[in-house]
Amino acid sequence: MPGQVKRLLIFVVIICVLFVVSRVLLVPEGFGKYGHYRATAIDTIIALPINYAGHIVCNDCHDDIAETKDASYHQGVNCESCHGPSNDHVQSLEEDEIILPSAPRDRNQCSICHAYSPAKATGFPQIDVVTHNPVKPCISCHDPHAPDPPSVIGGCIACHRGITRTKALSAHSNIECNECHTTQDEHMVNPRAFRPDKPRSRDLCGKCHAKGATSETFTKKVDMTEHGVGYLCWQCHFPHHPEAN
Amino acid sequence: MEGIEQLPEILRLASGYIYPNEAELHWGFLVVIYPYLTGLVAGAFILASLVKVFNVKALLPTYRLSMLTALSFLIVAPLPLLAHLGHPERSLQIFLTPQPKSAMAMFGFVYAWYLMMVLLAEIWLEYRIVLIEKGRTKKGLKKLFYKFVSLWDTDTSKKSIIFDHKAIHFITLVGIPSAFLLHGYVGFIFGAIKANPWWSSVLMPVVFLFSAIVSGIALVLILYTLTSLFKSRPIDMKCLEKLAAFLLYALLVDFSLEMLDFIHRLYESEESIEILGHMITNRLFISLIIVQMLLGTIIPLITLSILHIKKDMPVEFRRLGYLIAAVLIQMGIFSTRWNVVVGGQLFSKSLRGLTIYKVEMLGTEGLFMGILLLVLPLIILYFVAKILPMWQDDPVVDSGTK
Repeated sequence: MPGQVKRLLIFVVIICVLFVVSRVLLVPEGFGKYGHYRATAIDTIIALPINYAGHIVCNDCHDDIAETKDASYHQGVNCESCHGPSNDHVQSLEEDEIILPSAPRDRNQCSICHAYSPAKATGFPQIDVVTHNPVKPCISCHDPHAPDPPSVIGGCIACHRGITRTKALSAHSNIECNECHTTQDEHMVNPRAFRPDKPRSRDLCGKCHAKGATSETFTKKVDMTEHGVGYLCWQCHFPHHPEAN
Repeated sequence: MEGIEQLPEILRLASGYIYPNEAELHWGFLVVIYPYLTGLVAGAFILASLVKVFNVKALLPTYRLSMLTALSFLIVAPLPLLAHLGHPERSLQIFLTPQPKSAMAMFGFVYAWYLMMVLLAEIWLEYRIVLIEKGRTKKGLKKLFYKFVSLWDTDTSKKSIIFDHKAIHFITLVGIPSAFLLHGYVGFIFGAIKANPWWSSVLMPVVFLFSAIVSGIALVLILYTLTSLFKSRPIDMKCLEKLAAFLLYALLVDFSLEMLDFIHRLYESEESIEILGHMITNRLFISLIIVQMLLGTIIPLITLSILHIKKDMPVEFRRLGYLIAAVLIQMGIFSTRWNVVVGGQLFSKSLRGLTIYKVEMLGTEGLFMGILLLVLPLIILYFVAKILPMWQDDPVVDSGTK
């Protein structure tokens, strides 16, 4: 064998020996026992604190809710997705003071899934969080354990969405449209020819706002015999958002 | 986490719909440099193989230059990745616990094979006699150094020199598929990402390979011309003409392959074609249409073709033409890498929007770091050339000044 080949071979052998020695010294014990990772990593992971209890544990006590939820559109949503990590709650059941899991009441929780996103599949219920019944907590209309399937909106809101949104933010949010407006059935078919009427006297507003009315104490009241005589209320006040003026 | 501060700015400039994790590009400037550098290595080596395997005698003056260029660039090739990943000490893990199922994890072995078994072995055999001679004549630490790098070899007999030539021929034979593997592998990494329509193509490794050959030849042409200029050495015009001819042929093949890929995509018209078309005409207009296609391919193609056909042009003009074409090609190939790496991350996987990418100036992923990594191989080459003479035995014919 030529001398240069011998020298190169010795060099290659040294590199190979170095490689084997470093493998023996540096590869952690148990590497590759279960897969391409350190076997003792499992013990490290086991030692981590447990935060989630898992829905099976929830179902043991809350079987009625589990039954309702499993029959609903939210059957695939885990309890702790909304209520947060609940292992503390489960562990505290046998102690004096039970730690309660969180129950989201604001609009941020539902909007994680239901806020409008063009990438979501067609048919998935999505809302514009800013304009969909602003401020109102989702659970005031929807039951998260048995949410209603999406339906086509009807009634006044179908066309008068702007007014509905404005009114929803006002003190008049609980007053239905037809309490102030009388609407003929033909309006739905031929809206411009059959317009709903507006209150023609001050009595309607006076029901709540006249001095001596039996409405809530925080409702503003005026003496109807002196206040704005000769005008209808809505000529000065904006009834869909009365705080505005 | 630095990206979070820039997120509002990025989102303001993004168009259409993008997923939240697509706003910031994860493979930036440094990942662009990596395939560019490996391409230069593979290209320079293929050029060297033309001398040893295909016996193209005219290219002999550039043989050593090609080999040493390949070595200098190969030493720097993994540095962009190390800087990008941020934990250089972890890079050894890919050797210690090899994962054969991962193409990325096997890079270390492809790299080690190419560096140790091909480039270093061939360079050592090529320079063995030189190293032995220097080991004999130098003194002190230099003597020890040359003794060490010659592996204490002393055999300078004719028989051993003949064996060296045979061994170099054999190593180059093995080296060609190895060079193809090195750079084809980089193309493979991108081509195998099936979720990305800009990357996922079986043609990707082949396109990468030919663009690598183009960039390697162009680099050697630039280095040969410039070193001759600065060292006041006469340029061997036969060699330069041959280099330019091979550059033209490689560029033609590369251009045809890229056009094939382009037409194939257009004809296939997958669902992604609309957003990709949008990306090419908007975000990548300068880097793809202007730099890669026009400046980096079409103008050099025309220049090289004219110089190839019209042999009666003045020598100075030809040299300048070749140099300009080679520099434009380098720009074009760098743009190709940019367009592949950055382009593949600019469009949303929802196929509905485009994000933007801006190179930082400072930091480990910044412009200065990138420039340093691009200049570093040339600095290494300068020092390697101090140890291993690049020219002294080369036959030089000054056909240019006759």
